[in-house]
Amino acid sequence: MSTFWSAWVIGLTVFNLGLTFFLFVWGQRVEIPTLADGTSGHTWAHGALREGVRRLPLWWAAISGSMFVIGAIYLVLYPGFGANPGILGWTAHRELHEDMQANLGKLDPLLESFRQVPVEELAGNPAATRMGQRLFIDNCAACHGREGHGNQLLGAPDLMDKDWLYGGAGEAIMASIVNGRSGTMPPWESLGDAAVKNLAQYVLSLSGQPHDAAAATAGKAQFAICSACHGADGTGNQALGAPNLTDGIWLYGGTPEAIERSIRRGRSGRMPPWRDRLGDDNTRVIAAWIYSQANR
Amino acid sequence: MARGYKYFEAIEKHAGLLGFFTAIMVSLGGLSEITPLFVHAATVEAPANVKPYDPLRLAGKDIYVREGCYLCHTQMIRALRAETERYGHYSVAEESVYDRPQLWGSKRTGPDLARVGGKYSDEWQRLHLLDPRKVVPESNMPSYPWLEHESIDARDIMARMRTLRRMGDPYSDEDIAAAPAALEGKTALDALVAYLQGLGTRFSANPAASLETEDAP
Repeated sequence: MSTFWSAWVIGLTVFNLGLTFFLFVWGQRVEIPTLADGTSGHTWAHGALREGVRRLPLWWAAISGSMFVIGAIYLVLYPGFGANPGILGWTAHRELHEDMQANLGKLDPLLESFRQVPVEELAGNPAATRMGQRLFIDNCAACHGREGHGNQLLGAPDLMDKDWLYGGAGEAIMASIVNGRSGTMPPWESLGDAAVKNLAQYVLSLSGQPHDAAAATAGKAQFAICSACHGADGTGNQALGAPNLTDGIWLYGGTPEAIERSIRRGRSGRMPPWRDRLGDDNTRVIAAWIYSQANR
Repeated sequence: MARGYKYFEAIEKHAGLLGFFTAIMVSLGGLSEITPLFVHAATVEAPANVKPYDPLRLAGKDIYVREGCYLCHTQMIRALRAETERYGHYSVAEESVYDRPQLWGSKRTGPDLARVGGKYSDEWQRLHLLDPRKVVPESNMPSYPWLEHESIDARDIMARMRTLRRMGDPYSDEDIAAAPAALEGKTALDALVAYLQGLGTRFSANPAASLETEDAP
């Protein structure tokens, strides 16, 4: 704050406090002229109500007076009197800094003990999983749901079904959170409508769902193009995040329509990277909670 | 001291005089607290990684204002641990230099959006705007299904960019000329998603980031 603006604020503050203090003192000493009966002469209701004149009650004057003292103490302790920082040196940012340090001081021994063990073991630690669940609800639930059951509209996987796109080991879960994931299936509309329908029936047959056997047989011949990612037997590939098609668990829905839609137009699911937002410690406890819930 | 009474009497008996002196006393606080900030605001400079809105985000920002998003969402992370833990580094003035008007808001029915950029995927934002309950079942946010069917008028956005340039935003002629191409085929939904995904990239959204920055005045 420049000297001018500091002086501006100080001037206005002194003027305001000075004037109100003067009025506070002077106002109580002013004598109000009274009539012989001790009233001010102001009447209402044709003289039935007359205004008496009394001094201010002491309690009222004391409370008002103390406001000036409290105001002065505040200006000495806290910033407010121009550029004067106040003897406490308080700022909102410093208070935040201290709060965070204090919190870290309490939390860090716990986090340090979490850092020593693998996620799989941490999953058995209620202190860690409680923390992880809280963070999961705040950060992950928007896509994966509060209970972690995913959302087929987004292609956000169910985390509780033991069917892992990128692996269910602690480290793999952490890697998914830290780096995010980007799963892309190209569109295969170019194969033609009949081929798409046949492929969908074959995909249904892989997990033993009701399907049209003739169409599935026709689709099987074309599955070679799919096998590059989903594997010859359709069990998927965790290195690519290609889903297992044989387990009856669907990322985007298992109806014939949804499967045809996936083949025809492809799918593109993206989980943003959380490295920056969460950091390693938070990621670890979230992974521990997911692991503990998924392997109950 | 009896003579002082006539002043009190004058103020008590003339409502205009009472109003006049009341106005003076009330404005003292505003003069000391607000006027220095007016002058300070004019000196805030944009940091290197805060750029004027590109055409699509600018269109999105106007839709954010039009739909009244700021009535339920703030873009102001206060310097309180409860907020920095959840939303990341507290907001600073230099992040809002290109926001006219600033969209800090004051009502928090929904979460703060100051650093929501990149938190969710584009597809999530899209689904969520069209029908929030498809992704957050307990949400009470309204649906905005019309955004998907509304195109962006490039001429309107170019006019807005020219106006902002007059007010000091560093748009070049090329920036403005490139707007129609950038907005080609885009819907209001695309624009709003682009705006949201660009929010709050000045500082990290990691709570610990508040510990690393200097204590700014």
